[in-house]
Amino acid sequence: MASVNFKNIVKKYNDNLILDNVNLEIKDHEFVVVVGPSGCGKTTLLRLLAGLEEITSGDIEIDNIKVNDLPPSKREIAMVFQDYALYPHMTVRENMSFALKLKRFPKEEIEKRVKEAATILQLEKLLNRMPRQLSGGQRQRVAIGRAIVRKPKVFLFDEPLSNLDAKLREEMRIEIAKLYQNLNSTIVYVTHDQVEAMTLAGRIVVMNKGIVQQNGTPLDVYRKPQNAFVAGFIGSPTMNFLKGKIKFEGDFFYFENNDAKIFLPMFSFPEAEKYSGKEVILGIRPDDIVLDSAKIDHAHKLSAVVEVIELLGHRENIYLKMGEQRILAVGEAFGDLSPNAKAEFSLNYKNIHIFDAITEKRINP
Amino acid sequence: MKKETVKQILLHIGLICAALICVYPLSRIFTVSIRPGDRIISTDLALIPDQATFLSYIKLLKETYFLRWLYNSLVITAATSFIGVSLASTAAYAFSRFEFFGKRSAMIVLLATQMIPAGMLILPLFLMIMKLNLMNTYLGMIIAYSVSSLPFSIWILKGYYDTIPKSLEEAAMVDGTGHIGAFWKVILPLSTPALSIAFLFNFTAAWNEYLVARVVLFSSKQYTWTLGLFELQGQFITQWGMFAAGSMLVTVPVLLVFLYSSKWLVSGLTLGSVKG
Amino acid sequence: MSSVISSLAEIISFIILIAAAVAAIELYLWSHFKYHNKKLILYSLGIFFSIAFAFVFKLSGFFSVKVFSLFLIWELFLIYASKNLLKGKKYLPYLLAAPAFLGLAALLMYPFIFQVYLSFHDLKLTTIMKWKETGELPFAGIKQYIAVFTVPPLAETGFFKLLWRTLAWTFVNVFFHVLGGFILALMLSEVKAFKGIYRTLLVVPWAMPQVVAVLAMRGEFHSQYGFVNVMIKKALAIFPWLASLGITPVNWLSDYPLLTCVIINIWLGIPFMTVIILGGLQSISKSYYDAASIDGAGYFQKLYYITMPLIKPVLMPAVTLGTVWTFNNINVIYLVTGQAGGTEQADILVSALYKAAFTYNRYSYSAAFAMVIFAILFSISVSYSKFFAEKKEGKT
Repeated sequence: MASVNFKNIVKKYNDNLILDNVNLEIKDHEFVVVVGPSGCGKTTLLRLLAGLEEITSGDIEIDNIKVNDLPPSKREIAMVFQDYALYPHMTVRENMSFALKLKRFPKEEIEKRVKEAATILQLEKLLNRMPRQLSGGQRQRVAIGRAIVRKPKVFLFDEPLSNLDAKLREEMRIEIAKLYQNLNSTIVYVTHDQVEAMTLAGRIVVMNKGIVQQNGTPLDVYRKPQNAFVAGFIGSPTMNFLKGKIKFEGDFFYFENNDAKIFLPMFSFPEAEKYSGKEVILGIRPDDIVLDSAKIDHAHKLSAVVEVIELLGHRENIYLKMGEQRILAVGEAFGDLSPNAKAEFSLNYKNIHIFDAITEKRINP
Repeated sequence: MKKETVKQILLHIGLICAALICVYPLSRIFTVSIRPGDRIISTDLALIPDQATFLSYIKLLKETYFLRWLYNSLVITAATSFIGVSLASTAAYAFSRFEFFGKRSAMIVLLATQMIPAGMLILPLFLMIMKLNLMNTYLGMIIAYSVSSLPFSIWILKGYYDTIPKSLEEAAMVDGTGHIGAFWKVILPLSTPALSIAFLFNFTAAWNEYLVARVVLFSSKQYTWTLGLFELQGQFITQWGMFAAGSMLVTVPVLLVFLYSSKWLVSGLTLGSVKG
Repeated sequence: MSSVISSLAEIISFIILIAAAVAAIELYLWSHFKYHNKKLILYSLGIFFSIAFAFVFKLSGFFSVKVFSLFLIWELFLIYASKNLLKGKKYLPYLLAAPAFLGLAALLMYPFIFQVYLSFHDLKLTTIMKWKETGELPFAGIKQYIAVFTVPPLAETGFFKLLWRTLAWTFVNVFFHVLGGFILALMLSEVKAFKGIYRTLLVVPWAMPQVVAVLAMRGEFHSQYGFVNVMIKKALAIFPWLASLGITPVNWLSDYPLLTCVIINIWLGIPFMTVIILGGLQSISKSYYDAASIDGAGYFQKLYYITMPLIKPVLMPAVTLGTVWTFNNINVIYLVTGQAGGTEQADILVSALYKAAFTYNRYSYSAAFAMVIFAILFSISVSYSKFFAEKKEGKT
């Protein structure tokens, strides 16, 4: 087990900047999920760590040893690939023992470790099959098994669940979480799926355009997104964004645009005065739109027209139209709203997010 | 409905005629090969002649160097194919997996070599072999043959490597081998189909070659079978039966291998041409 | 007894040859990529060195100082490159591609350049022994090139006649290959029963070793015993009126050698085209034909508007390849007419080249002749590719 340290990593392909000065410290035993949209550089970051690509500038350290010039085989890492990359000409057993054979482990040791891994992953009965005879989930498990027999310093997962269907994905997610509890090792996990990130991670690193946007615990990233990108990327359904100006009126600050005028209590935006009259972005998660008339802040309630209601079973998505602005709210299923009806709501002021319109940085605590 | 049946019958008639034309010379060789010695030359057209005999075969094996010719061909061809495929396999790997300076121009050079008529280079090759004192030797023949199918083999193999996901080698590298180890232990075993096509292609090209052999080999003990058969056939009257017997012995295995592998051979050909 | 021993020795030496090749590859991998198999490496070292010694002693003439120094330079380059290899991956592709390209350079490019060199010198039977011993050759300037156009390469047939014959030969052959291939492929794709059997039988001419196929066909054109004349005679016996159409048994090989070669080559070349076109036909989706039927197209309209355009991408490379092959086809003509005293009425450029070099031993003349042929082929293919490139651009 080991720590990983990225120092000022820059990666360029010809003139395309893929990673722009990435700094990241991963502690021993940590489960770090790197998440971001496709093309954000997250997979490149992982491949740099694995040694599959060369760093343009900067240093990578594993266990405080600089590994920039080490080939992948010397870095003591194991990787689970997106397409699993099982060797098609080897059985499951051979696939899992390949790395140990290369390192000339004694036969008994190899046998022991393969057996161990097979037990953990319930692969005992499949050991003599060829990869093409396995289902997607089984292949996935073999790929993980191939990684754990090595007892590497760091596990790398490159979007391991993206080729599975939804149900299997959930199952494997739980498997991986369990595995982490058992192995208790350092894991770097790359995904574009923020649900995976939220559920698995000890720490989330959100990336976009080659830059680390935010680095923190899942709750931190969810509750206090550091900029509009993170706010929009993390959380499902996505956050509502409203563009407008801060206005001071009769002792209170308001957020105002053509469609609405929203009351901002002092505790939610202490620095409001600094931004008075300036453009900001107000973000509010669908869960934080209060429709329940018992809980509404009647003094500052807002009104809108119900546009569409999507029933999800236990809940429903309610699309509201406030002027030209569409707002998504989430309510209990079979609420008393119907399309084209008028709806009244207020915001949960504890969880509103305000961003500078130009820098898109968070400006409220 | 009736129109369709008429059409099918016409199609069958046409195809049977075409098939007969295609197969007829082979069947004639067969007929001649089993004719008795005094009737080798005859205007008789029956497939199996009266008094069929295998005398020509026995005569061929006893009185000529036929087995020796086959052996010569085999040695030269096997060595050539082995060299050709091993050179092609690594070069194709470089083209398939790496971006390097000069890659594009190297590919163009490869294609351009296909433009040089093979017949054109026989003379300088012949002179080179003569200068190296390798006339009438296996080594001389192997040198002359070894690169002739190389561009094509590289092309086929590159096409095949391109279909193997890169992550397999990366997995092998993470598992603890170098780049070459990954190539050796993962890519090569996976490419057996393409390697066999390339091998087969090299093999048939060298196996059936005549023109270079004709100028490099001059003692009849060193002949390849193509030269030997040509010589037998040259003396038309006396040895026609032996020629036919030899042709049968050479053709039947080649035919079987070809028919067995033709599916892949054709796909390999189109792979090469379409991707080029 | 001694023959058994000598053949055993042959077999053993063949095995040693393969072992040496394995050893060479193993050593190559080990020395340049630090990849090795522990078990193999000891064998390899032993075998390799013993064989190397044997070779040096046996063929000391071959291992001249020049060759050896070139080898040393190559090794030094590899060692230098492999040192850098440990740092970055940059040299790896060059090392991988190097053996193949060295082979191509030595056995394709070098001969080509050597040919150019030859064509400006004078190498013939009278000067060859001196050249072999000393490497000296009298310079000839462009004399050989002038000779190509003025002195016939063969006994009597001159250059321009050969050129014309070659073009006609190429065109006729390719035309009938494509036509025949197309018809057979269409028939194959539409016939319902025994498709596999027909397909197998139809590729026999292609599958047979060419030498056997051509020689066998040559036998069928024998004036007395060949199938063709026998059939003509039988037909004449049944339908005497055919004679008035000018159909009589003829001396194919001596009187109509070119026609014989063309017929044989057409017979040889059709199967390849059939297979290629059949592959193309099968890749055309049935739904196009269904759509065309609904639009009211008849059989020939479908053929013209759907099959032909869609088959083109498959057909064009095959036709290009076929053209080059036919243009360069020495085999058929030489095998039919190459015997001592054979006719030269069927010769095309390349077969005349082969005969000029190896029957008449006019080496430098042939080199110049080869360069001229190459120039012709090159200009044809360049204009050909330009023509198609323009056509493509015009379309998009």
